[in-house]
Amino acid sequence: MNKLAIITAFLGGLRNRYMVYQDARTLSEKLAMARQVIGCDGVELCYPDDFESPADLRALLDQHQLGIAAVNFRSRRTGRWWRGSMTSESATERQEFVDDLRRAFDLAAELGCFRLTTCPLNEGVDGIFEADYVRLYDYAAETLAAACAHHPKTRLCIEYKKNDPRARCLFGTAGETASFCLWTGIANLGATLDIGHAIYADERPAQSAALLAKSGRLFYVHLNDNDGRWDWDMIPGAYHIWEFVELFYTLRKLGYTEDWYAFDVFAKEHDTIETFNAVMSLTRKLEAITDRIDVNMMEALLAERNPSRTIPYLYSLL
Amino acid sequence: MNRKFSANASFFGQRQDRFNQYQPARPLEEKIALIASVEGLTGVELKYPADLHDLDHARTLCDDHELIIAAVNVDTKDVTRFLHGALAAQSAGARSQAAARLREGMDVAAALGVNIVTTCPIADGYDYPFQVDFVTAWGYLIDTVRSVVAHRSDIRLLLEYQPHEPHARNLLDNVGKVLHVCAEVAAPNLGANLDIGHSFAARESPAEAVALLASKGLLGYLHTNDNTGDGGDWDMVSGTVHFWHWLETLYTLDRIGYDGWFGADIMPKHIGPAEAYAANIRMIERMSALIERIGFDTLTGMIQRHNGTLTPFDRLLDLLVAAP
Repeated sequence: MNKLAIITAFLGGLRNRYMVYQDARTLSEKLAMARQVIGCDGVELCYPDDFESPADLRALLDQHQLGIAAVNFRSRRTGRWWRGSMTSESATERQEFVDDLRRAFDLAAELGCFRLTTCPLNEGVDGIFEADYVRLYDYAAETLAAACAHHPKTRLCIEYKKNDPRARCLFGTAGETASFCLWTGIANLGATLDIGHAIYADERPAQSAALLAKSGRLFYVHLNDNDGRWDWDMIPGAYHIWEFVELFYTLRKLGYTEDWYAFDVFAKEHDTIETFNAVMSLTRKLEAITDRIDVNMMEALLAERNPSRTIPYLYSLL
Repeated sequence: MNRKFSANASFFGQRQDRFNQYQPARPLEEKIALIASVEGLTGVELKYPADLHDLDHARTLCDDHELIIAAVNVDTKDVTRFLHGALAAQSAGARSQAAARLREGMDVAAALGVNIVTTCPIADGYDYPFQVDFVTAWGYLIDTVRSVVAHRSDIRLLLEYQPHEPHARNLLDNVGKVLHVCAEVAAPNLGANLDIGHSFAARESPAEAVALLASKGLLGYLHTNDNTGDGGDWDMVSGTVHFWHWLETLYTLDRIGYDGWFGADIMPKHIGPAEAYAANIRMIERMSALIERIGFDTLTGMIQRHNGTLTPFDRLLDLLVAAP
């Protein structure tokens, strides 16, 4: 069974362009909150925010008995790297990105964590003719290769996302990400499949998981839901119950079973702990529905490809 | 066609999205000076209450910079009063405060000599199914609007629809719902502020929205901008994505005789607001010039001709290629 983690950023200050919903919290407060969430096994840490004092961080994780799902490397920083970090036109900025990512690799390894994830949010464009896509891919390949070579045992995951804050991010879909990883041939470079990002990129999450796994690049999974129009970071299953069941069924086939699910769910105006209690409990319920699927029956139904039999079977599980 | 361009003062201060902060915070004095520095901008839309704590000061600043106050934009979203809704909130207290805020905004507008108050009711929306009782919420929304416009007839309240943000869906999310509210309330001082980007984000054709609103005499103000049309309200420079749709919108505005302000919500990001707004005005003026070159009547004839769909493109492209 996969363990469940909360990304620490979602336990702190929450804002969007109109509202500031929750005030910033200290690392100590965030980890204490994570401990209070029923069913939470650990956290995904954020670099650099959570790493001001690695010794204190380790002590807090021990104190609250929280595991580490991954370290999330922030590739965008307010006030710098405005036009991208790994794909900046400035060689100096690209080198800063490589150096900082190497530091994150080292700090993660010191905590016994060998998975870094990064969402290249600010790598991309708003307008047409804003950037040279050919060069952007070359820059990304060079910087990521340089960083990944630093720590071959650690896996670096690109968390693809269609847009925001850029009107179009460079890594927008599972296909683009898989293709890039295969093209570069960097063995320890893969993808974080964020289900919400897949849904609003018009993907079927189970299909994206299969494609990434076939490419040997399904490194990590983030769970959340949305209405298919935007990355609202909602409670899993609020909109796409059966897509989640199909995803979980497919992940089991692909062998993603003794790993972590990390949640980026935006509590907004609601209580954060109550929100994540619901997140944990609903995820386990969606897994329980998946448990009820008779694998032989489903495999036969999948071979038949007849929705008039498959969909009634799914509803018979409720 | 002479256009009147105004700027939304909020976009000349600090902006933020979920991930980044852009531009320094600027006091009203700096914002007004920056707006006045942009060639072509003659008007300003001020936010109430943020920009208007001191009316005399705001008026003097605008006078000193020869800027006309085009509209007062009343903020009906905040986490203290309107966390769970404003005009359509379940809480009578929140609805009452939202109505009071709008009435204050109308009084402020009158004191400033402006007859337009605009508001985008984005506190009223929902994320999840079963989060809002639509039956009561829609009644509240209409009742609140009705009570606000009854406050004074010399000020016109313009509703700005937006499909989503900060909620996954806002109640007032498309042009059809604005038409519905205006029809229900049936007050002469109620109308619409059409944000062209919101119309694109709502998967509409803004020219059609212009025509629909104008058919009921409801179009009172515009927010110009553009976006990628896939839902994101990026507040980009007009015409940078939907060039043809923007031409169609400008033509339609001329067709219905729109003589109001061309306001703008343009996200400055790292470009800076003055440069972004200047580019927006240049784009609108150049697109307008293209329509003038083809000739308004000629274009109308082409559009109305049966099976003539592609003719305007041919002619406009000819003119574009021939442009100096």
